[in-house]
Amino acid sequence: MILQKEASSSAKPDSAGLSSEEISRLNSHFAAIIEFSDDAIISKNLDGIIQSWNNGAQRIFGYTADEVIGKSVTILIPEGLQNEEPAIIGRIRRGERVDHYETIRKRKDGALLNISLTVSPIKDDSGKIVGASKIARDITDSKVAAEALRKAKEDLVKANEDLEERVRIRTASLKEAVAQMEEFSYTVSHDLRGPVRAMQGYAVAVLEDFSDRLDARGRDYLERIVRGSNRMDKLIQDVLIYSKLAQTQVDLRHVSLNHVVREIIQQYPEMYTPNVEIIIDQPLDAVWAHEASLVRAISNLLNNAKKFVAPNVIPKIEIFTERRGDKIRLWIKDNGIGIKPEYHHRLFGMFERVGQNSAYEGTGIGLAIVKKSIEKMGGTVGLESDGLNGSAFWIELPAST
Amino acid sequence: MILLVEDSEDDVFLFERAMIKAQVSLPVHNARDGQEALDYLQAAGKYDDRNSFPLPLLILLDLKIPLIHGFEVLRWVRGQPSLNNIPVVMLTSSLEEKDRARAIQMGADGYLIKPPTRESLAQVFENGSVKTFPRHDQRTPASEN
Repeated sequence: MILQKEASSSAKPDSAGLSSEEISRLNSHFAAIIEFSDDAIISKNLDGIIQSWNNGAQRIFGYTADEVIGKSVTILIPEGLQNEEPAIIGRIRRGERVDHYETIRKRKDGALLNISLTVSPIKDDSGKIVGASKIARDITDSKVAAEALRKAKEDLVKANEDLEERVRIRTASLKEAVAQMEEFSYTVSHDLRGPVRAMQGYAVAVLEDFSDRLDARGRDYLERIVRGSNRMDKLIQDVLIYSKLAQTQVDLRHVSLNHVVREIIQQYPEMYTPNVEIIIDQPLDAVWAHEASLVRAISNLLNNAKKFVAPNVIPKIEIFTERRGDKIRLWIKDNGIGIKPEYHHRLFGMFERVGQNSAYEGTGIGLAIVKKSIEKMGGTVGLESDGLNGSAFWIELPAST
Repeated sequence: MILLVEDSEDDVFLFERAMIKAQVSLPVHNARDGQEALDYLQAAGKYDDRNSFPLPLLILLDLKIPLIHGFEVLRWVRGQPSLNNIPVVMLTSSLEEKDRARAIQMGADGYLIKPPTRESLAQVFENGSVKTFPRHDQRTPASEN
């Protein structure tokens, strides 16, 4: 509007009551704004002939004002997009604006630019549309950035898919391995135990059905077969438990030791008085654990505590918890034969039996199972014993409040 | 008549011996694989004479048997309305709690760990005959114990 005023060059105050001097000052003010705008600001008439051309236009398109004023804007339009101009002009004629229209234009050097166009009608004093002002912003950089972003996103999605595929393949092979392991365990537990059971069963049958024809030596041999096969059966079971432990994932929950310990003791009649004296003198603290694994570990330790006593001694087991920072240590203290300190480090290994006395029967896997199950739950195990005055085994697990 | 589905001769011997020890003197018919068990129960093939091969009072079913797995036999039996009243007790050396839970869930009435003993047979027999098990149509699916 202001520029047209300048064109009409009226000295009289206009309808807004501005003097020609004021108008002239405003005009140079706006002209400066236009001149120094980063965007290309171009005006053209309805035939598409360029009327004005600012610095921004020169910077973006590479033509000077002298080179383009009086020429058709179509010199800026790449081949193939030439039909855009009549469409834009058509809209301008109808008094419409073209807002942030993203298209491609050509520089003087032929390079193509991504630009965002805003085209508005220019009206004369009588309101007649005489041309268009065109503001073009070079968005090539942001286009490039957007394209790079899109590519990066695409790469990310691809990488993600690759990763997922690899995880899928690995999971599948892992599942297969676990399935094979389970099948193996199953077969072992069924097929390996079968013959052992038969040996044990027939030996017992001979002992029972032919006892009148057996002397003490014959009975002793058969009893040894029974003991041997029982031990073999226990070994198979323990090895299976141990091997399964390695691959089982355990969920940790709040477990009340009070509840669990009392339940275990109740389940085993051999843990009742007068067979054993068990003292739980105060409430036991709760821990974070996998209940089944914890039950197995505690049962094992209680069994050991009861088993490894000198002849004619009634096992006395003390059970208590000790708070150690954010951990709870469950102590199982016995009056048994104890374990010399030099053997402590071997005790939790597989197939380790530190007692020489065969009267104390065991597979040598029990404590390995205890250690493994507790470690699976993020806990630790240990013992204190001087080898004379009983043993005190402990299990340490995170406390649960 | 008790149908003992078991492929191991030793286990058949040990089972029959445990029955004697538990003072149960019911006759036992041994089917050596899953297919033979199905034939017996359907009076098919060599078992087509129901008089000689009456429907059993109890089916003792080993889990791991040739041809048709114990669970499959169990599924088939529980799908036969005419056999609904016959208790099925699984007989296995598997100590897997998973197997036990599955057997009960699939409609088994009990689960005996091999070798059977005088004591463990008390879960199945009472005063020399087969215990009365709750009828299947009266059980709630949730009662898995």
